Amino acid sequence: MTTTAATTPATGRTYDLVHRTTYAYDHPVTTSYGRTVLTPRDLPDQRCHTSTLDIQPAPADTAAHVDYFGNRSTYFAVTDEHRRLVVTSRSTVTVAREAATVTGLPVVAWEDVAAAVRSGRGLEPTAAPDEAEWDGVVHDDVAELPTEPEGPDGPGDPSAAATDGIGIVALREALLPSRHVALTEDVREWAAPSFTPGRGIAEILADLAHRIRTELTYRSGSTTVGTTQTQLLAQRTGVCQDFAHLMVAALRLHGLPARYASGYLETMPPPGREKLRGADASHAWVSAWVPGAGWVEVDPTNDKFIDDRYVVLGWGRDYADVPPLRGVIFTEGSGSRLTVSVDLVPAGSAPLP
Amino acid sequence: MTDLLSSVRAPAPDAPAPASPDEAGADRRPDWSWLPDTADAPTEADLARYRDATDRLLADHGVTYGGTPPVTADGAPTAGVAEPEPHSWRLDPVPVIVDEHEWSVLERALVQRTELLDAVLQDVYGPRRLLGDALLPPELVLAHPGYLRAVHGLRLPGAHELVLTATDVTRDASGAWTVVADRTQAPSGAGYAMEDRRVVAQVLAGVYRQASIQRIGPFFHALRLALAQVAPPGTESPRIVLLTAGPQSETAFDQAYLSSMLGLPLVEGSDLVVREGRVWMRGLDELEPVDVVLRRVDADFCDPLELRSDSRLGVPGLVRALRAGTVSVVNPLGSSVLENRALHAYLPRLARTVLGTDLALRSPETFWCGDPVALRHVLAHLDELVLAPTYRGLRSGTVHGWTLSAAERAELAARIAADPLSWVGQEPVATAGAGAGAGAGAGTAAEAVRRPGHPPAPTAAVLRTFAVARRGSYQVMSGGLARVFLDDADERPAGSDAAPDAGPRAYAKDVWVLSSEPDAVRDPWLHAEQPAQRVLTGISPRTAENMFWMGRYAERAGDKVRVLRAVVDRWDDYHRSPRSAGGRALAALLAAVGADEPASWRTEGTGTDLRALLLDRARPGSVASSVRRLAEASAAVRDQLSNDTWLPLASLDRALADERRLVAARDRLDAARQVSPRTGPAETVGMRAVLDRMLEALLAVAGIGAESMVRDLGWRFLDGGRRLERAQFLVDTLAATLTTQRSEDVDSLVLESLLIEHESVITYRRRNQAGATVATVLDLLLLDRTNPRSLGYQLDRLREDLAGVPVPVGPAGHVRSPETRDRLLQDVADLLTELDTATVAAAVTEDGRRDRLAEVLDSMRWRLRAVGDEIARVHFVHPAPSRSLDDAWGAENTHAPDADDAPGTDPSAAAAAEDGTRGADAVADDDRGPA
Repeated sequence: MTTTAATTPATGRTYDLVHRTTYAYDHPVTTSYGRTVLTPRDLPDQRCHTSTLDIQPAPADTAAHVDYFGNRSTYFAVTDEHRRLVVTSRSTVTVAREAATVTGLPVVAWEDVAAAVRSGRGLEPTAAPDEAEWDGVVHDDVAELPTEPEGPDGPGDPSAAATDGIGIVALREALLPSRHVALTEDVREWAAPSFTPGRGIAEILADLAHRIRTELTYRSGSTTVGTTQTQLLAQRTGVCQDFAHLMVAALRLHGLPARYASGYLETMPPPGREKLRGADASHAWVSAWVPGAGWVEVDPTNDKFIDDRYVVLGWGRDYADVPPLRGVIFTEGSGSRLTVSVDLVPAGSAPLP
Repeated sequence: MTDLLSSVRAPAPDAPAPASPDEAGADRRPDWSWLPDTADAPTEADLARYRDATDRLLADHGVTYGGTPPVTADGAPTAGVAEPEPHSWRLDPVPVIVDEHEWSVLERALVQRTELLDAVLQDVYGPRRLLGDALLPPELVLAHPGYLRAVHGLRLPGAHELVLTATDVTRDASGAWTVVADRTQAPSGAGYAMEDRRVVAQVLAGVYRQASIQRIGPFFHALRLALAQVAPPGTESPRIVLLTAGPQSETAFDQAYLSSMLGLPLVEGSDLVVREGRVWMRGLDELEPVDVVLRRVDADFCDPLELRSDSRLGVPGLVRALRAGTVSVVNPLGSSVLENRALHAYLPRLARTVLGTDLALRSPETFWCGDPVALRHVLAHLDELVLAPTYRGLRSGTVHGWTLSAAERAELAARIAADPLSWVGQEPVATAGAGAGAGAGAGTAAEAVRRPGHPPAPTAAVLRTFAVARRGSYQVMSGGLARVFLDDADERPAGSDAAPDAGPRAYAKDVWVLSSEPDAVRDPWLHAEQPAQRVLTGISPRTAENMFWMGRYAERAGDKVRVLRAVVDRWDDYHRSPRSAGGRALAALLAAVGADEPASWRTEGTGTDLRALLLDRARPGSVASSVRRLAEASAAVRDQLSNDTWLPLASLDRALADERRLVAARDRLDAARQVSPRTGPAETVGMRAVLDRMLEALLAVAGIGAESMVRDLGWRFLDGGRRLERAQFLVDTLAATLTTQRSEDVDSLVLESLLIEHESVITYRRRNQAGATVATVLDLLLLDRTNPRSLGYQLDRLREDLAGVPVPVGPAGHVRSPETRDRLLQDVADLLTELDTATVAAAVTEDGRRDRLAEVLDSMRWRLRAVGDEIARVHFVHPAPSRSLDDAWGAENTHAPDADDAPGTDPSAAAAAEDGTRGADAVADDDRGPA
């Protein structure tokens, strides 16, 4: 049910992925409604071979759909009373992705990118990327939604203006503030040194990622879903979602389309140590538009363009569009004990049961 | 008064031309020149009477505006002037008159506009071909909070997305209609429009009969058809509900009234549940499928799973059901994106592109600040424009630029510049006939002129029109809801955002569209194609609970009134002679009613205490508190009740309000004379009359229950509540009075009062010529199953009521089994059967206690209380409180496995705790919190 199913990458790394979320409650929960974004997308450089979602207790109702952003989402409703809810997603994914490099990306001054998005008119990339040349049209995933009416009146309309419009709409949307990304003066001020006049957008992406990696400290538990970029800049510590939001905000503030990406990063054990089970993590990074290259993904937490150690779940305006799991529960009790474990291991090794 | 909206606006012949807006305001007279015979025009004196009659009818019908039921204000309004209550609906009976031809032009324009909006809505949630700088800037849609991505691509069956819309129009200085707001989400006011018509038709019966005006009834018929037609394909006879935000909603009356008029169950989010991919209504014992939801809940509150996670008004999974196509929500979630006022600037272009015609209805010149050119214009002309946010809920409302100081303007300019996408500037509407407008004069016109019997001078008026999808196009209500604003502080014409009434500074008018053919529109009830609609037969546990408590509070109020009446009589006779038999009987009765027995009756304020038992709403068990709870419970089940119910409820309020006013006036008088608050002798003066008045109204409530209601499930709970309450009242009062033996002369007075309280004194006298004894009184009040005031009778009826109520199925002893309920009732019945009244009456201990009677009554008492709890447990099952799953934000960055034991944060603990109070109420027998 996904869109432009990519041909399976001929080469690449294949992973077994297990993501388990466990809620334990002191009081019985009569009903749990949930919605997941836990199934990796199919992309030109990523192929999801199999994906299952296991929910305990067994849900009375499940339904899969493709969301507004093209992500694969699953609804479930558990109607048996329970004190423990376990949501386990298992996938096998092949990733054949080479990290973008600053030198390999088209050189376009950031002001020109911003102007092109603002005006809706194309511009010539000064250096052609390896693959498809940018033709001034950005293909938007919204246009590929299965619910979209197709046919003579659909997005496939020969009228170029219509197709063009769709591309621009997605780019414009990626400029807007969103629930977790406010466009504030604090962020503008922080980002300003990176946006020197005429600087190429690829360089800026690398610079912002590098600055976040070096100027801010990763500390788990130092923020909550409600932490703003202003608070983050004041405390200088945060987690990957915070860093992604900060970079998205910096780009949008300067008229550059940016999205929030959700997924995983394969972690390596310290040299000489065995990898711990469940020690991988949900991860988040940034997807920014580079004319001629499309959406380019950068991980500010680790100061790098993403490669074949990253698995993409999906993307949205910010965290609120793609939390791996959200839900509503009915209970007299309050509080819960939440455990998350993620295993991303080469296929064939033994992941979490 | 002259109408700002009427077509016919000839000045009254004897009135000089107004010299200034103020004067115009002071001397507005209604124009009756359109009447076939102007000799029939009401005089000024008639109008004053009509206005009074209107206020009274609205109160009698329980018409309210605001989130709470009508409650008379505490304290005292100024003597003589009956200020309208803050929550009553205000209506001027003089209608707005619109000429037939003019209306037909407006009608066509409204249809065109609604078709255009519908097309835009379909596009922005579908192919989005209109989005583009040339036509409709993408940000105008994409940045609006009403644009809900969760429902992108979903469609209603049929040709339209918009089913029911409202358009607010006003007249500009040239007299042309101008649109000030589109209401496309869940428009309110159609119920008020119908109620206004009913009231005005009654008050102005003479004129109404003479006038040939178009009916608004057909609109509601069309609405029923339209709702049935958008049901999911394959639904033979759709089940339709009206989803309300509950009694706390500002337009709760409008919602309940509409549901009752359309015959749709009024449901709250918690009455609905999503299972197996579709929406169901919770019944008492099973779920019933729901096919169409007419919603009055804002879209983002409708599904906490997919939309606002903090909403407790919605139905988790609703969007899932929409995706499955098993339910239709009207208007669709996401339609409030059209309420963005910035759209006004782009509709003319869109009309030419989409419809190929020019837009017929204009709007005030609008500048959307998301456009850099428009932003510059707005910032440069702040002092001339009306500044408004593009959506409701932004902290600030609409602002008149010209009313701001330089500093305020600078502050506003900064806010707009920081968030230009969320602001529009609009040219003010120079309203026809009103002093309000841009610049000078706007402030002074706000000085409303008040004369007795005259509404203050209006400064602006808005007509809310309604349209409903019909046969591939739209049908416009032939009339509407006019609102007249008494000052423009809130700038309603440009900012008529939320509700159809701005509160006390506005009032409503009916709108009469003249018709050249009498009754040109056929009457739907006589001829109509009736929509095939399946009726939802069950009632929700919430409705059952409200009916039950309505019965209990009605009975509780009546019981207390009777007790007070009996005690006040004894008080008047005996409070001066505390040592007499009468005095001692009075002491016993006061103790039984919970009033303090004064140390010295001549000087202390026991009387005040009796009055507090009548008037003090804060005092549990007072008449006023029961009346209030009765009103609350009734308002929540308006769709179940006869329209006549509101008449006695209004009388109850009125009686209490009058008495409060009298007491307050007297207290003021005392204060002025510097005498101490009245005590003793005078204290109960006048109470008897009030109590009689209230009893009359409560008897009417009981009569409606007995004679005007179908014996359905709702009635069974209503009656059951009354029976249980009366049973408890009997046992409580007997225990409080008869378990102590007093001297014969004292006891005979106590017994007499007791019989009076229980409406059995006449029967008793007839049967017991010799005089009263405890045993024979017990016979009549406990055992006599033919006495509708006896305990035996209450038990029979309660068991009969409950026998007809379905219970949740399950194995014996399962969690909602009625076994305990029925066993307790059987126990009480057995106690009665075994009761030997002569023996228990005679069994007196040395210290003068009838201990065996006390024991039996106590056994009955706790069992009856437990029956109440059991009924709640079995039938009034509330879903547990809901909250969001704790967010995995922190946990997912925790690499170390030892994070497993980290306790989850619980942002919603406070909310859950609040909701959790319901559990406590379920067992508190005495009273309950608002359900």
